[in-house]
Amino acid sequence: MLRIKNLHAYYGRIKALDNVSLHVRPREIVSLIGANGAGKTTMLNTISGLIRSARGEVYFEGKKINRLAPEKIVAAGVSQVPEGRQIFGPLTVLENLELGAYLRFKKKEKTAIAEDMVWVFELFPRLQERSKQVAGTLSGGEQQMLAIGRALMARPKLLLLDEPSMGLAPLVVRDIMNTVSGLRGKGMTILMVEQNARASLKISDRGYVLETGRVVLQGRSDELMNDSDVKRAYLGKDYKTFWEGRDRA
Amino acid sequence: MTLSNSKYECMDTDDLEQVQLERLQSTLNRAYKNVSFYRKHFDASRIDVSTVGAVAEIATFPFTTREDLGDNYPYGLFAVPLRDIVRISSSGGTTSNPLVVGYTKNDLRVRDTVTARFLAAGGVDETDVLQICLNPGLSNWGRALKEGAEDTGASVMPMSHMSTSKQIMAMQDYKTSVLLTTPSYAMHMLDVMETSGTDLKLLALKAILVVGESLPRETRDALESTLRINVTAGYGVSDVSGPGIAFECGEKNGLHVSEDHFLLEIIDPERGNPSPPGETGEVVLTTLSTKAFPLIRFRTGDLACTVPGACSCGRTLVRISEIRGHTGDVLTIRGVKVNPAQIRRIVEGMAKGYSPRFLVHLYQRSRQDMIALSLEVNDAIFSDEVKMLEATLKDLRNQLMKTLGLPVTIRLVEGRTIDEYAKPSGGVVDER
Repeated sequence: MLRIKNLHAYYGRIKALDNVSLHVRPREIVSLIGANGAGKTTMLNTISGLIRSARGEVYFEGKKINRLAPEKIVAAGVSQVPEGRQIFGPLTVLENLELGAYLRFKKKEKTAIAEDMVWVFELFPRLQERSKQVAGTLSGGEQQMLAIGRALMARPKLLLLDEPSMGLAPLVVRDIMNTVSGLRGKGMTILMVEQNARASLKISDRGYVLETGRVVLQGRSDELMNDSDVKRAYLGKDYKTFWEGRDRA
Repeated sequence: MTLSNSKYECMDTDDLEQVQLERLQSTLNRAYKNVSFYRKHFDASRIDVSTVGAVAEIATFPFTTREDLGDNYPYGLFAVPLRDIVRISSSGGTTSNPLVVGYTKNDLRVRDTVTARFLAAGGVDETDVLQICLNPGLSNWGRALKEGAEDTGASVMPMSHMSTSKQIMAMQDYKTSVLLTTPSYAMHMLDVMETSGTDLKLLALKAILVVGESLPRETRDALESTLRINVTAGYGVSDVSGPGIAFECGEKNGLHVSEDHFLLEIIDPERGNPSPPGETGEVVLTTLSTKAFPLIRFRTGDLACTVPGACSCGRTLVRISEIRGHTGDVLTIRGVKVNPAQIRRIVEGMAKGYSPRFLVHLYQRSRQDMIALSLEVNDAIFSDEVKMLEATLKDLRNQLMKTLGLPVTIRLVEGRTIDEYAKPSGGVVDER
């Protein structure tokens, strides 16, 4: 579904992606894990067109999309849930969701949009309860649900999730991850960036480990969870430096 | 024939290339970051790993040879710290140092996966009783095959030191349905069965899977027609991962390479450039999933060619021919790779600085490869006293057994005998 070859991208003047290739198959959940500054968010922003790639190719359903404008990419079926939710605080929950279908309003898809609204409310009953509430007053978990719901209103085929667990309490993280996992059952394909590697690998099929803009490891999620490097670096095991005692000259 | 993993074994070419590219890029990133040998090697060739944009670009990288492995003995080429290693496999190797290969937990899992593909393609499943008969020189393979076979769910009899007649007894009594051995040992067993009057009809055997040596057509025909079974072959390289790197399917027309884990190249062994498709050349392998012991363009020394066209079994994995020989001096004896230089080192070690002349004889006795050493009698190294002489020879035999994992017969000859063959010291007479 998504196929990326040899992607190079800059974040300001820093080379944030250095020859990255990855793919996501239909109905897969794939995690991108890595430390701060490894290039995870740049990766998602490059796919969604917010950042222009310097080199390389992004194919979505066989079509090259990496020179398209962000709204064209959304129209092609790729929606991003940005880091930190980025919901419109002063607007109501309902208005936020309607904005998610912004591209479709122009196409006069009113009935379809109404149906999708029902679907999103089924997925997140809490949002329906609070549909008239101003979004800024929602809790962190609810805001995350709203951000996902808003992305779903564009009827994407591929959902890009940027740090959905950020700043949330462990129990809420579990809720969000369950929701994400449930989306796959609804036919959604998901590429997710997470610092909480354990939580994201748990619900993923596969994962890629990014380190300073390069992929250093990939594999099935269960393999990655058992990999010593991943454990040391991202699963919070308290190890001393990886290379102690070895001559690296 | 059964597919062990249809997702990867029958992957469409574009998807396979994407998987290979992703794995190759991360392998190169890890090798460059974690192994100083590769870092120096790549830097010296002015190669920037972050510019590799296609699988074919592997051809711009320098080769890795068995000498490189020997020079970096024991742990120099490991790409992870020892604490991540769960298995250390050591075998004779073909240089002055033994071969040491480390595996992480996941490396072992990958090895078992590819081994299981070979076994499944040969018809092995959970209903089978599988008997492994390999000589001690192939004990690492024996272990890998045992673990891969357990992955398929079969009941496994691991290799043991039983005599051939005991092995045959076990085969009858325990109702072995699949035998895993070398082609020559299979033939030897067949001979022993025939001379001892074993009733072949009482055997539950349905397949023989062979490794270690290439499988001559006559051997396959003899085994298949006499025992009314299926024979399929596997190909492996100890340095790279062990058995199961490539395997025959039911079509028996070439061995499918597990390309999702190993990148295959066939090169002209003299000039190092790619061989034209279909032409015989040296098999060069790059590991794509290995974490502990990544090998970039490893020269296996084995000669083979690719088999063109798609296989009717449905697997899209590329096929190679049987191994048609070896580059350089390396010999395969009962599936064990031996370099005559190793024998020279042992003989010289015993002679303490003196360099005695010798010949290596390879021949077959009851279809098994035999190796004998004809050593020149010389006052400088051999005492007149029979006791001393016997002790020296026993010592030499033990040393050879330890290093090669093969029994070696030692004959003492006069200088003339060696002159007859007019070969330099360490000449090989192959009468197989």
